[in-house]
Amino acid sequence: MEIRIIEKSKPWRWIDIKELLEYRELLLLLTLRDIKIKYAYTMVGVAWAVINPLFTLLILTFVFGTVAKIQVLGVPHAIFTLSGLLAWNYISTVMQEGGNSIVGAQNMISKIYFPRIIIPLTKVLGGLIDFIVTFLFLLILLPFYGFIPSSNIVYFPIFTLLIILTGSSIAIWLSALTIRFRDFQYVTPFIVRVGMYLTPIAYPASLVPEKFKTIFSINPLVGVIEGTRWCFIGGDFPLQELIFSVMTVLFLMFSGVLFFRNAERVIVDIL
Amino acid sequence: MKTVIRAEKLSKQYTLGKKSFGDLRNTLTNFFSKSVDNNEKEKLFWALKDVSFEIKEGEVVGLVGKNGAGKSTLLKILSKITEPTDGKAYIYGRVASLLEVGTGFHPELTGRENIFLNGAILGMKRSEIKRKFDEIVEFSGIEKFIDTPVKRYSSGMYVRLAFAVAAHLEAEIMFIDEVLAVGDIEFQKKCLGKMGDVAKSGRTIIFVSHNMGAVNTLCNKGFFLKQGELIATGGVGEIAQLYFEDLKSSTHIEISHSQELPDIPYRIIGAELRKNGKPLEEPVVDVFDKISICLQVECRKSVKNYSAMIHCNNEFGRLFSIFEVNSIPEYMENRPEGIYWYEVDLPCPLLKEGRYTFDLEMGHFGVGPEQMIKNALSLEVQILSRNPRFEAYSINRQNLVAVVPEWKIINNIKETVQ
Repeated sequence: MEIRIIEKSKPWRWIDIKELLEYRELLLLLTLRDIKIKYAYTMVGVAWAVINPLFTLLILTFVFGTVAKIQVLGVPHAIFTLSGLLAWNYISTVMQEGGNSIVGAQNMISKIYFPRIIIPLTKVLGGLIDFIVTFLFLLILLPFYGFIPSSNIVYFPIFTLLIILTGSSIAIWLSALTIRFRDFQYVTPFIVRVGMYLTPIAYPASLVPEKFKTIFSINPLVGVIEGTRWCFIGGDFPLQELIFSVMTVLFLMFSGVLFFRNAERVIVDIL
Repeated sequence: MKTVIRAEKLSKQYTLGKKSFGDLRNTLTNFFSKSVDNNEKEKLFWALKDVSFEIKEGEVVGLVGKNGAGKSTLLKILSKITEPTDGKAYIYGRVASLLEVGTGFHPELTGRENIFLNGAILGMKRSEIKRKFDEIVEFSGIEKFIDTPVKRYSSGMYVRLAFAVAAHLEAEIMFIDEVLAVGDIEFQKKCLGKMGDVAKSGRTIIFVSHNMGAVNTLCNKGFFLKQGELIATGGVGEIAQLYFEDLKSSTHIEISHSQELPDIPYRIIGAELRKNGKPLEEPVVDVFDKISICLQVECRKSVKNYSAMIHCNNEFGRLFSIFEVNSIPEYMENRPEGIYWYEVDLPCPLLKEGRYTFDLEMGHFGVGPEQMIKNALSLEVQILSRNPRFEAYSINRQNLVAVVPEWKIINNIKETVQ
């Protein structure tokens, strides 16, 4: 028999995995709802998932490749940029949508119980559609430029996992912060805008002058992006950056979940 | 019989006035000034205080009390939506909470998609929804539109579908907030019937309602809450009596804790009854007294087409409504943010002897109420000044309302016709 005990919970708790599994159907349905609303009811539908990276790619390639003429190790500039955009687009979308997701779901949250972490997680899952579309786009672009990807591509699944972890850890942190401080609704887009320039998407990290290298590499996305790119175009394995990224992401994930679980206790009272 | 719900000193405290979260600036200033200036006037408020009770298997408990008595807070705590500040409760069995019908419904999705989504939100398994799908659709009576996006539904259809899902929830223990207050009378009856079946099937239910008729038919036990405290438990009749006594004395309300305030541009934060421009102290008035209702409305953002409404009920149901506070055009244009008082005179003399209650509503034109305060105010009308003309206002007459006639006698009909 199910027994439900209701009392004030401890401030620091880890996630209840068993409970989360019981709610997997809800997580899936909410994700599907998001996807349907995002794509099925717009005029060009899923085409948006292509249009978005396509135009970003065109602009970045024009600015960094044609105008600024940044040298990218003998790789077509479009391939170079798209392999960076692949991770960046996913992470930035999940950050923005995940961060604001709690506010968007406040009616539901105040009317029914379910593990609250499901809300940012729907965005983590939902963003995968764009991720897959961008990946397919990259696969089409490779033969178009007659570029044969590096054999490192077999490691891509591992990096996919790292990308998802990075996106979700930041999204969980931001949504917990948004519960506490509504200001983060406006802070998140700002972080994304600045982050776009501070992340080596359209330029190689090797171009960053030596004296800024340490500061530049504090951005955990540097390792993730450089690592993903290594899968497609090879070159030096960014070991140092990757170790730093993985450690940071694991730490962000751990602390983010704890903080989220702490903030969720008062979520209904302050929304 | 075994106990399925045991609550021990459940309490819930809210901070009044300033919200407990804030913008970053507030938190930072508070953090730095904590040691210096600690006499921040934070009013603490117990929405629920030391509530203890036991509910046995198969009991159907009607939870009654005025607005702000703590009914919804109690249901929210038992439903795990919010945590108690203090105290403990044990619930033995599978629980389903129904605090709203149609939670998670999305206008862009079809009826079919919404059934699955809403079912999952309410805690039903996919297989369970599939099994009951046909039954749900049949109950809602909207078979033809099941693959149409619900944004094309009429509000009646929307509510039917939403309720149909909820009515097919199967759990040992159910918490039901006032969800029957929606839909047309015919459908409400059908729902009451369905709930009656549920109640008879041996399930344990806590049912919140302002409708004593519904409480009477459905429940076999009553809990009476007042200002966060569980004052009495007992038979339904006895509890209803306590509730009516309590209602008698509501000539004004304040809605101050954020829990009950919806997040909408205009919202009602208070209301009072006035006589000759002064707040009414005793809830008893004469048939000929000039009574007005004042609404205190907070404008948080100047938005067009928001409107408040007042409904007047007698013991049998809704008597009349006073529409659209904002129908005066200049009120709708660029109103600065702030708190406004609206006043409207009750038509007088109109109300007969008897007890009347007023529901307040705020909402967007064409969308429906987004804030609803049931039985916010109540009024007892008596014939204090004796006069033969007032006979029509006597409780002994069958009319629902009465007017003082102004008859004219027209002498020469022929002449008038020509």
